[in-house]
Amino acid sequence: MTVREFLALTQRELLKWIRAPIGIVSSLMLPFFYLLLFGQALNFGKLLGLVHAPPSLAASIYLGAPDYFSYFSVGMVGFIMLFTGLFAGANVIFARRFGTLKKETAAPIPREVIFGSRVTAGVIRGVIFGSVVFAIALLFAHLPGLNGLTLTGHAGVLGAAEIVVAMASVTALFSSIFIALGFLTEQIESYFALVNLVNLPVLFSSNALFPTSLFPGWLKNVAAWNPVSLGVDVMRENAFGSGAYYPYTAAEYLGLLVGLTAVVVVIMAALTRWSLRPK
Amino acid sequence: MSITIEADGLTKIFGESVTAVDRVSFQVEDGEVFGFLGPNGAGKTTTLGMLTTGLQPTRGRATVDGLDVSTEAARVRRRIGVIFQESTADDDLTGRENLRLAAALYGVPVASTGPRVQQLLDLFQLGEASERRVKTYSGGMRRRLEIAASLVHTPPVLFLDEPTLGLDPQARAGIAQMIRNLRKEDGHTFFLTTHYLDEADSLCDRIAIIDHGQIRAIGTPSELKEKVGGDVVTITPTHDDVDSTATFSNVPGVLGVTRTNGSYRLKALRGEGIVPAAVGAALAAGVGLATVSVKRPSLDEVFLEFTGRAYREDEGPSATDWAVRVQRFRGGGR
Repeated sequence: MTVREFLALTQRELLKWIRAPIGIVSSLMLPFFYLLLFGQALNFGKLLGLVHAPPSLAASIYLGAPDYFSYFSVGMVGFIMLFTGLFAGANVIFARRFGTLKKETAAPIPREVIFGSRVTAGVIRGVIFGSVVFAIALLFAHLPGLNGLTLTGHAGVLGAAEIVVAMASVTALFSSIFIALGFLTEQIESYFALVNLVNLPVLFSSNALFPTSLFPGWLKNVAAWNPVSLGVDVMRENAFGSGAYYPYTAAEYLGLLVGLTAVVVVIMAALTRWSLRPK
Repeated sequence: MSITIEADGLTKIFGESVTAVDRVSFQVEDGEVFGFLGPNGAGKTTTLGMLTTGLQPTRGRATVDGLDVSTEAARVRRRIGVIFQESTADDDLTGRENLRLAAALYGVPVASTGPRVQQLLDLFQLGEASERRVKTYSGGMRRRLEIAASLVHTPPVLFLDEPTLGLDPQARAGIAQMIRNLRKEDGHTFFLTTHYLDEADSLCDRIAIIDHGQIRAIGTPSELKEKVGGDVVTITPTHDDVDSTATFSNVPGVLGVTRTNGSYRLKALRGEGIVPAAVGAALAAGVGLATVSVKRPSLDEVFLEFTGRAYREDEGPSATDWAVRVQRFRGGGR
């Protein structure tokens, strides 16, 4: 019976999401403008003097991607997954404020269902957002005057599945942390303060925006373990067929990411259970 | 009659020193409407929180339908319906979607969910609004939806925390009538908290008066009124600078006198019978009288009798107090 309760709560979360179209559009505006403005304005090839360099040099810096925009736009998919995760816990605080959380906690359901349904809804939102960002970047390639995403890999169905699992894992990892935080904190101000504290350091210590070959050594090490980087590595290897530029295969990165996500989700579920205990 | 709810020395202490509920003990029989009556902050919601497994008792124990609320919380939750003070319905879902969600959370079989939800929508007169989002509902409609959601799994015991709080008189009457109908037709056991005296009086089979976390009295409304010991004559002098308790105590037929907020409460078996003598004694003592009233005992009197203070003292100025203040402000008072 737990499955039905889980599905009912997940469906509720998604219904609330699709019934607030302004929220959906505004969530997509940030990566859209990054792609439209930042991605178009920042000509890394020129900055690094790669315009007349052999393609192999550019490929080595962009880890197999044909140009900076292609490299960057896949990173933007990681960016939207991170942001979807960071904001996934806000509705827990609103649910507590508006009283709807009481209905769930008074019901005879495992606390993990309350947590898991929200994480699952976050993952579905993240995968949809990630796919839309991919689609926008691909569309740009067909619009005059715009740089766009050029796929050079031939990953097939398995590669596409790896990309979807990577998107799901990154969103699940950050959603679970911030949903647990939503259960632990009662103040929306504290929640958003922490979101602001976390988002830029996680983003800039990942490979989402810039090639890590340009990073200092210590930051390279941080970036290598950043879950956003792991997810983006899986997507880039598959999108550009560039396994030769990476020390590990996409499947190995994905295995590490999924394992890390599983550990974080279990810990966050336990924290949520603890926060919902009768006091 | 079997016992459906039992509390034995139930105590809740928040932090180190805030005792919200203090050694509360009572029993609620099967099919009974049991009311917890008290002002804001008396411990009503905390007691309900412990009985519905949301709060862990600090001491004591309680059972609902024979199940311990601390050690068998999940099983208790399956056997009860809870209507909280605040709305728990989801504003972004329709009335029907809210009920379907409640049915899923309480394990109503999939095949019977549709008919059960429709039955409740019809019963609570929400059929026409069932496809509208709850954000468009009035306060009364929201309360009806809350009660409908709490009944979706046909629980034997219903807990209602201030079920009519904030509603207009018409909506309050409607909710009260629904509770009566449910009790009559389905035989649910009700535990409700309220700070409306008239509601407790008209709805409840038995009432527990709770104040500062302790139960001061338990009984049927009639029993409690009888305990007050007769009629109450309230005399308000024009000036409150002299204590006239002794003057009124000496009036023949007066069983007792208490002085509260500038008024004297005289208890007597027949209130009307002592009024002439009491007025005479006051005038003889040079005490000017502003008002004299005779009342059969109400729960107001019961509350005063068992707690030593007027029911509304914790609730800010009463309507009468405001009227006096306005009069003074306009220069019509002292």
